[in-house]
Amino acid sequence: MERLGSRSLSVAAAVAAVVPCLMAFVFLTQCGKAKPVLNIYTWADYVKPALLSRFEKENACRVEIDTFESNEAMYAKLKAGATGYDLLTPSSYMVSLMHAQKMILPLDHGFLPNLVHVDPEILKMAIDKTMDHSVPYMLTTTGLAYLKSEVKDFKPSWSMFDRSDLRGRMTMLNDMREVIGAGLKSLGYSLNTVDEKELAEAKAVILGWEKNLAKFENEQYKTGVASGEFLLVQGYSGDILQVQRENPDVTFAVPEEGTSISCDDLVIPQGAKQIRLAYAFINFIHDPAVAAENTEFIRYLCPNKDCYPLLSPGLRNNPALFLKPEVRAKSEFIGDLGGLNRLYIKIWDEIKAAK
Amino acid sequence: MKRSRLPLVATVAVLLFFYLPIVVLVANSFNASRFGTGWQGFSLSWYARLAHEPEIWRAARNSLIIAFSATAVSLVLGTLAALALHRFAGTRLQRLHFTIVYAPLVVPEILMGISLLMFFVMAGTSLGLVTIFFAHVTFCVSFVAMIVLSRLQDFDYSVVEAALDLGAGWWQMARRVLLPLLYPGLAAGALIAFTLSIDDFVITFFVTGPGSTTLPIRIYSMIKHGSPPLINALSTILLVITFTAVTLSQRLGRERNKVKL
Repeated sequence: MERLGSRSLSVAAAVAAVVPCLMAFVFLTQCGKAKPVLNIYTWADYVKPALLSRFEKENACRVEIDTFESNEAMYAKLKAGATGYDLLTPSSYMVSLMHAQKMILPLDHGFLPNLVHVDPEILKMAIDKTMDHSVPYMLTTTGLAYLKSEVKDFKPSWSMFDRSDLRGRMTMLNDMREVIGAGLKSLGYSLNTVDEKELAEAKAVILGWEKNLAKFENEQYKTGVASGEFLLVQGYSGDILQVQRENPDVTFAVPEEGTSISCDDLVIPQGAKQIRLAYAFINFIHDPAVAAENTEFIRYLCPNKDCYPLLSPGLRNNPALFLKPEVRAKSEFIGDLGGLNRLYIKIWDEIKAAK
Repeated sequence: MKRSRLPLVATVAVLLFFYLPIVVLVANSFNASRFGTGWQGFSLSWYARLAHEPEIWRAARNSLIIAFSATAVSLVLGTLAALALHRFAGTRLQRLHFTIVYAPLVVPEILMGISLLMFFVMAGTSLGLVTIFFAHVTFCVSFVAMIVLSRLQDFDYSVVEAALDLGAGWWQMARRVLLPLLYPGLAAGALIAFTLSIDDFVITFFVTGPGSTTLPIRIYSMIKHGSPPLINALSTILLVITFTAVTLSQRLGRERNKVKL
């Protein structure tokens, strides 16, 4: 009994001692540190760490990176009232929604001299063409990735999904707008159309493709095509460039009918505290040398026209990053359709049900 | 009569189902391949890279601070709640108390996350480690209280009265009588509180603020844009630590029993 009693006492004493220490630690780490802190809320591994240290040194500040894993989760959190972030990197469609809800600040170009380097060709296609409230950060192209040694007579076209000899060895993305968008593009329509006749035609095309697909898939296709389980997949260029490091037989091609281009943008949310630092960071990222270094690291393309010549030849001549002008002319950003999204949801449900 | 093989088959199947994924994960953490597409050779490169990922270590530090402090505080509060619930069971106040303590166990996590976030925003608190700490205490308290309460079910309160009767002060009684008898319940409660706190994702996601990303949130966001093998390496390290801790505590427990005999 004595032994047990003393053990319990030591447990109680330990609890009593540890709690205040930890609480003190918690509070101290919250405040303290005199340097201003720039809080960035972004995707994981989305800025080269060495560039962050450089920015910290140049601006005598500290950069805190917090990460989210989907636009929707980030939006839900901010919408519910979470604050404290100074810079966000949502995808373009989410930027237009957040702009409509007055959740982001308009940008003063006087603080952003490096915006002259932003690629005007990309801005022409962008949703926020004048960079009124967002600056494009990273681009990725949706396209086809295939195993060169296995797929005979490949042609860069969405109609590859009609090939019954590849039946069961192909995947498309599990994303309504990407799949219906591919169907629309194969017919020569806009992937933001709200014309019900065009959508019905696209549905018929996709139902034909679906017979040949193994599944609709967003993550495993990378492993699948690297290991040879799948021969042809619809995927994002940024992901495929990473797969190519593993299996050089994987080849990326952009369908000639055009495709979708996605962009993540830099925006400053309402309630940001370090607005000056946030501007400094946007400006820093669009310094051509920095943009080139960042692109080499992430393997998405920073749309900064003066960084292009600084890229290594491997990326400079990469069709996944730089589309042919005639293909780019047929490609589009996926826009937010608001209430008319229901047209797509209806078709998507029918496609999913047909499987 | 021949004994059925079914129990053996079922046992093996269940063990495989539980542990095979962990084995695959540990093996892949030593795989040179980035996508785990096949064995491309033994490599410690993911562990080496892990050493150069300050973000991950910061997240791990945050997780540990929260888990330890939330466990300690919810252990104290939960035990006190259980004592009150047991001692005054049946009164209207304690029935209400029970409902309140029980509620977090059945309320969906996402609802709790959102409502806590809205509460913190309304209260004007800036989000960070402190808000995560409060959120974790809120749900850990309930688990601790329920576990300690079940330990109290076969607890004879006259022991406490006897101690007080024989001249023990309140503190002496708690230390010499109550704590030793409740010890298994307290240990179980602390373990479950720690486990729940260290791997909570949903609630934490909503109440986390700038600079307070915890390990589960970091890991989840890495799956989308980051490197899966790093997560494998990190999980392997966590597994090793957990298994060492469990083995040590079991061994210590055995030795203590031997001394007693």
